[in-house]
Amino acid sequence: MPLTTLDEKPKKPQDVETTHPMEKYLRPDRLPHIWCSGCGLGTALNAYCHALDDEGFGLDDFAVVSGIGCTGRVAGYVASDSYHTTHGRAIPFATGLKLANPEMNVTVFSGDGDLFSIGGNHFIHAARRNVDLSVICVNNYTYGMTGGQVGPTTPKTARATTAPYGNFERPFNLPNLAASAGAVYVARWTSLHVRRMKKAFQKILTKKGFTFVEVISPCPTGFGRKNGQGEALDELKSYKERSVIRDGADPTKVDIKMDPDSDIVVGTFVDKEKSTYSEVKEQQLAGKV
Amino acid sequence: MVTDDMTIVFGGNAGQGIRSTGLGFIKAIARSGLFPFGRQDYRSRIRGGHNFFEIRVARKQVYSHTEGIDLLVAITEDTVTEHLDEIVEGGGVIYDDDLDVDAEEMEEKGVKPYPVPLEQIAMEEGGAKIMANTAAIGAIIGLTGFDISYIEGIIEENFAVKGDEVVKNNLDVANAGVEYVNSHGYSSNYDLEPIPESGERMVINGNQAFALGAVAGGCNFISAYPMTPSTSVLEWITKHSKELNIVTKQPESELAAVNMAIGASHVGARALVTTSGGGFSLMVEALGLSGMTETPLVIAEVSRPGPSTGLPTRTGQGDLMSIVHASQGDFPRIVLTPGTIQEAFQAGARSFNLAEKYQMPVITLSDQHLADSVRAVDPDVIDMEGAEIDRGEFLTEEELDALEEPYLRHKFTEGGVSPRAVPGHENAVYKTTGNEHTEKGDITEDPELRTKMMDKRAKKAKTALKKDIEPPVAEGPEDAEVSLVCWGSTYGAVKEALEKLEEEGVSANLCHLKDAWPLPADPVVDFLEGAEKTVIVEGNDSGEMKKLISQETGKVVDHEILKYDGRPFTPEYIVQKVEEVI
Repeated sequence: MPLTTLDEKPKKPQDVETTHPMEKYLRPDRLPHIWCSGCGLGTALNAYCHALDDEGFGLDDFAVVSGIGCTGRVAGYVASDSYHTTHGRAIPFATGLKLANPEMNVTVFSGDGDLFSIGGNHFIHAARRNVDLSVICVNNYTYGMTGGQVGPTTPKTARATTAPYGNFERPFNLPNLAASAGAVYVARWTSLHVRRMKKAFQKILTKKGFTFVEVISPCPTGFGRKNGQGEALDELKSYKERSVIRDGADPTKVDIKMDPDSDIVVGTFVDKEKSTYSEVKEQQLAGKV
Repeated sequence: MVTDDMTIVFGGNAGQGIRSTGLGFIKAIARSGLFPFGRQDYRSRIRGGHNFFEIRVARKQVYSHTEGIDLLVAITEDTVTEHLDEIVEGGGVIYDDDLDVDAEEMEEKGVKPYPVPLEQIAMEEGGAKIMANTAAIGAIIGLTGFDISYIEGIIEENFAVKGDEVVKNNLDVANAGVEYVNSHGYSSNYDLEPIPESGERMVINGNQAFALGAVAGGCNFISAYPMTPSTSVLEWITKHSKELNIVTKQPESELAAVNMAIGASHVGARALVTTSGGGFSLMVEALGLSGMTETPLVIAEVSRPGPSTGLPTRTGQGDLMSIVHASQGDFPRIVLTPGTIQEAFQAGARSFNLAEKYQMPVITLSDQHLADSVRAVDPDVIDMEGAEIDRGEFLTEEELDALEEPYLRHKFTEGGVSPRAVPGHENAVYKTTGNEHTEKGDITEDPELRTKMMDKRAKKAKTALKKDIEPPVAEGPEDAEVSLVCWGSTYGAVKEALEKLEEEGVSANLCHLKDAWPLPADPVVDFLEGAEKTVIVEGNDSGEMKKLISQETGKVVDHEILKYDGRPFTPEYIVQKVEEVI
């Protein structure tokens, strides 16, 4: 089928009869979604649904917990049990869910500001105790929903509404943070690496313990425009040019810089076995009165 | 006939330039000498979803938006669907003739369809689709006879940074919009005549007014975490932080923000924290620290409807009770509830003086309606030089040099306020603590001292009430049939409701609390006792101010007009409800 050319008027949604292949995992009545064109959130959600499908998840097998922000809206589009919690608190909410119902597979799907700024403390403690959660962070380097403020992953010198002179702070290197805090699986992909992202999601959906995937995503509206990164397509092109797949890379060496010529190291950085919080608890309680 | 009062609404999707078009038009209206009131209605999302910008244009100062739309500019089909029923008879809709809208349905309702090829004009005259908004402005000018030179001036200013070509293209598009309307024989009932004698005015919203007030009041430190609808205060101050020499910090959370501000204030900064209700809830523990350690703290809480995430981009007055009683243990705080641009500016400036004079938290509670509504005010209202800076009982370097007795940070005094010393002087090396403490700042559990310390802190509120809490604004005839009590942004709609009630033969007056806490009980009692029938008008569902008034005065307001749908009051709504009550 030929691709629609740019000058051809796009068909209105009501004229096109389509069913999304992943519709069973989504809430069609909540669509169209709120995300800007070019945002990587739809891609990440789509890859997540495919991962669920490939692993044969039914709607009552898993829960999705989100915080606040653009990524926070993911929970509202997933047709399983899902929770849109308060800002930064997705992980403690999810921990409570998991501890009270260990049968449930729990994914936290949230943004960089939510998980690593206001929720940073919860992240490191959940990783430290190796509670059995899958955490997906869509990192777009900014607070998109509130209009593009500086955040904990905004690269140094990048501009934001609250960093008009360029960011003075050094950002978190998320894989390094997750690995040092104790995560048993750590990977990073960009929203261009759809298949690999999906595979990583399959992995965290099936692996026990605190697992983490960072998805680098464009925010053309809140970040790209202010930082001369062009349109979303240009950002995706830059991912293609800048990404270097390095499985097993030392997480301390995968910082992301503003320099357009610098590498974005992607891949699976940590994949190890360690008893989970619940397993440790079971072991220690065994034989006690 | 010259139009006295009309409402124009621009509607479209988020990201279609609705807000910037509206703001540009408001500026032009203000420069023509007419009086605008602009209100942004938007959703909690960056792209898509119906958004609109409502502009009331009047020949006299206005304080609120009103119901009914005269001219609707529809950038999307949804805009027509959403607003058609609000359009007054004789009003009209300007829309791109490419949109799938039902012109016959409009005509049946007495609404005039004005199809204009907005995008085509934008492409042909300007070369970019986004200029369709400018074409729509041209159409409004054509329909209302508004002098295009005011718009041209704004276009020249707004697009100057983008170069002469963009300016010229926009001017061409605006003129083509006018031309299209004129050449197609479109007519309307509206005629916007300028009022050159109005003089210069400043176009400003409540958050900007508060931010300017804070700067005028000597704010030199701000730490805040983004939260709609407060974020623009942080953004504005940060943007100008270099020229204003203000330390700005967006930290990792509201907890960090408020504690940073307390730290900065402890060493002498005039520190500000901005947030909304959810963020304020996170700051509650620190509020107690400020109260206990008697560290000045200024918070601006720009509220939105809760609980929890609630309605992020909407308005409400449901945080008053929470703020007045926030944090464990009894300790005083001051709460200001401005209702106008002037009051927002003054709250910004006053709050630092109040915080330092009484060494306690001072919270300005505004809301999305005041924060985002745009009005044109006399520039003298924003008197940047006129704000007096009063640091209260603050020991100077010389006084500290001359100090002979040991410095007591929490010294018992008549008014309860202990002279403050900024750390860093050898005669005043001290500690303080969130535990109960002695005058010196040492931890104590002594029951007698504890009681004395509680009394000392409480006394400061009584002193503040006597000296600095301003009485409510009272307006309207003393012997009115019905008396309306309000606070914060609701004041504007109540003020305009008085006029409308008078037109309908109902005499009404009002009492607007711009300083809410400590509650100025005496003037409130006077007002209530002199009233025949009293009605509280507030944007929450439990009558929070009504309860506070009862608590502090023993007087019960007779009736309630409450609204908690996330939308601001209109004068019409108040009139209708008052008529139901009387």
